[in-house]
Amino acid sequence: MTDLMRDYSRRQFLKVMGAAAGAVGLGSIAAACSTAASSSAPAATTAATAGATAAASSGAVAPSATALPTGTFNWMTWGDHSYPAQLDAIAAANNIKANSTLFSDNIDAFTKLKEVGGQLDMVSGDALWVPHYFEAGLIEAWDINALNVAKQLYSIARSFPIWTKPEGYLGYPFGWSPVQIYYDPAKVSPTPDSWEVLLDPKYKKRVVVEDQPVEIMAYMGKFTGAANAYSMTPDEISKAQDALRQLKPNVLTLANQATDTIAKLKTGEAWIATGNLGTEARVKDQGGPDLKVFTPKEGTIGWMDSEMVVKGGTNENLIMPFLELAEQAEYIAANFMLNGRPLFNEAAYKILVNQGQQERADQFLYNKPETVNTMSLKGPGTSTQAVIDAFNEVWGA
Amino acid sequence: MTSETAGGADQAPLAGSAPGVRARLGRAVPFVPGFLMLAFLFLIPMAIMFVFSLWRTNSDFNVVADWNLNNYARFFNQPVYLRTFAKTLVMGTAVTAAGLALALPFNYFLVRYVSRGLQRAVLLAVIVPFWTSYLLRVYAWQAILGETGALNQFLMGIGLIKEPTTLLVYNDTGVFIVLIYVYFPFAALALYAALEKFDFTQLNAAQDLGARPDQAFRYILVPQIRTGIITACIFVFIPILGEFLTPTLVGGAEGNLIANLVVNFFRQSQIPEGSALAIVIAAFVTIVLIIFRRSLRVEDVVTRG
Repeated sequence: MTDLMRDYSRRQFLKVMGAAAGAVGLGSIAAACSTAASSSAPAATTAATAGATAAASSGAVAPSATALPTGTFNWMTWGDHSYPAQLDAIAAANNIKANSTLFSDNIDAFTKLKEVGGQLDMVSGDALWVPHYFEAGLIEAWDINALNVAKQLYSIARSFPIWTKPEGYLGYPFGWSPVQIYYDPAKVSPTPDSWEVLLDPKYKKRVVVEDQPVEIMAYMGKFTGAANAYSMTPDEISKAQDALRQLKPNVLTLANQATDTIAKLKTGEAWIATGNLGTEARVKDQGGPDLKVFTPKEGTIGWMDSEMVVKGGTNENLIMPFLELAEQAEYIAANFMLNGRPLFNEAAYKILVNQGQQERADQFLYNKPETVNTMSLKGPGTSTQAVIDAFNEVWGA
Repeated sequence: MTSETAGGADQAPLAGSAPGVRARLGRAVPFVPGFLMLAFLFLIPMAIMFVFSLWRTNSDFNVVADWNLNNYARFFNQPVYLRTFAKTLVMGTAVTAAGLALALPFNYFLVRYVSRGLQRAVLLAVIVPFWTSYLLRVYAWQAILGETGALNQFLMGIGLIKEPTTLLVYNDTGVFIVLIYVYFPFAALALYAALEKFDFTQLNAAQDLGARPDQAFRYILVPQIRTGIITACIFVFIPILGEFLTPTLVGGAEGNLIANLVVNFFRQSQIPEGSALAIVIAAFVTIVLIIFRRSLRVEDVVTRG
């Protein structure tokens, strides 16, 4: 979800990358030595899986490497859904290349996909945006259990009701995070437990929130009791707007990216901030103060994202083989070390535990994917225009 | 060129005859690339945006060809848009005035008292910031003006303040300071081009004839560098009407300008709604340009560049 890299030790990175490279190497050998073959797309993906799953000890059947399609496909995604070494390794070993295009937000990706259609083959998207893509006829549903690598996922991730349709599953689950409140306990007291702390006049110009008007209005809606934070009624918008008016004097700046938030917390310019899981660890890693974090008692908003298969994508046949390779636990564990937020791959969690990273993983709620059920999930709202007007009304001159 | 034109006029065939049309077409050829560029990169996109501004976005984020003026009504009916636009005009005027106030004496002394070689070096220094991206330059100002920034450290170091001040950034002051920095080179270069051609002995002559220095400046210098002043105004004032990045990065919660409100619509794919606000700004810019242009005499441009 976030495009930002975090600091991590060279030793940690080399360990995880070594495991990932080993997985790919073993996978290639296993796939090349295998004799079984299949022509169906899911079965073809099994071949790609074989190598990585060999390292992951999943015991998957390994058909011939010659059964794998090769080529380049187009993927519109966030920058943290893969990393260059991973894509290079897959391209080198399996000749499947991902041509990645980055986007800023779900609406951005949705609008672009509507324009270009099958020129893209895979697109990443959040929570309730995923069924919205499907209803708009932009993506395909498919059988997630046909992918061997899907066995590495937490079981809850394979059966989210919002992503389940009679035609199949709508996306391959990747990562998630609630929006939480981070604060410096040396400066903020008493201990907060509500969104209300953002509005407290004693924190004038000490709050940083992300520059996402719809999200800000959504959690102001949570604070004021809106039933659906992304589709508020006029009355609910009015209440959220009143809360926003109280928030404005406290806002130091609207952060364009997570690094901005981290920088402000690190220097002490900001005492309170909203952000994704792990913000406090990143601040600490960069030499900032010890921060506390809480999920507001009124509930919070959050995201969980997935990879979706574009309907009519020109290179659609590459997607399943690619997912089998790219979603292997070793890569996902390395990605967690790089980008620091919970991911849905349970096998990767076990790798992290074995590598002595359990404390960090647990701190990021990696082992508690059921938390997503407590969040108001990101999605396309029915009140977007009115929400922007309400936001502008407060944020303008 | 002149004799050809004159000759052509003398021997002008009857209107509509083939040689005349061919000659006119021949003369028009050099304008074709410019016209195509103007058409495809400006006129057609503006026309499309105007059409979009008359439609609406439905709840599925689709643009619906439902002709209406509601998007324009939003600008005029909701006071926040008018207020913010007025604030943007004030900011643009203030930055333009400050830019001129800084660039005029800078160029005056540069042109009058500095050797040619050194002038070039100084001008190079003025444009050196363009070698760095706009984004990085504005980010750098966050580090300079911030609570833990260089300026606060300096002011505390010399004992002027005891605690870091938060008055320099994340407000309108921060936007003002950074916009002056960003647009100063435009003002400076435009005025340099005008002052470079000015004969400074005219100022001495005016004073010899009894004019005070301020009168010489006002009645001799300013009229002759008017083109440069107007060009500087255009280069500084008009881009500020569309300024989005600087208010975003150093404006905090208070420093928003009209473009920041417009962009909120585009970011959420509310294209018709954002287009209408953008068209209003574009229309205003066009009016300003017409006013500026009327104040420019053709001979100013021809004779003084």
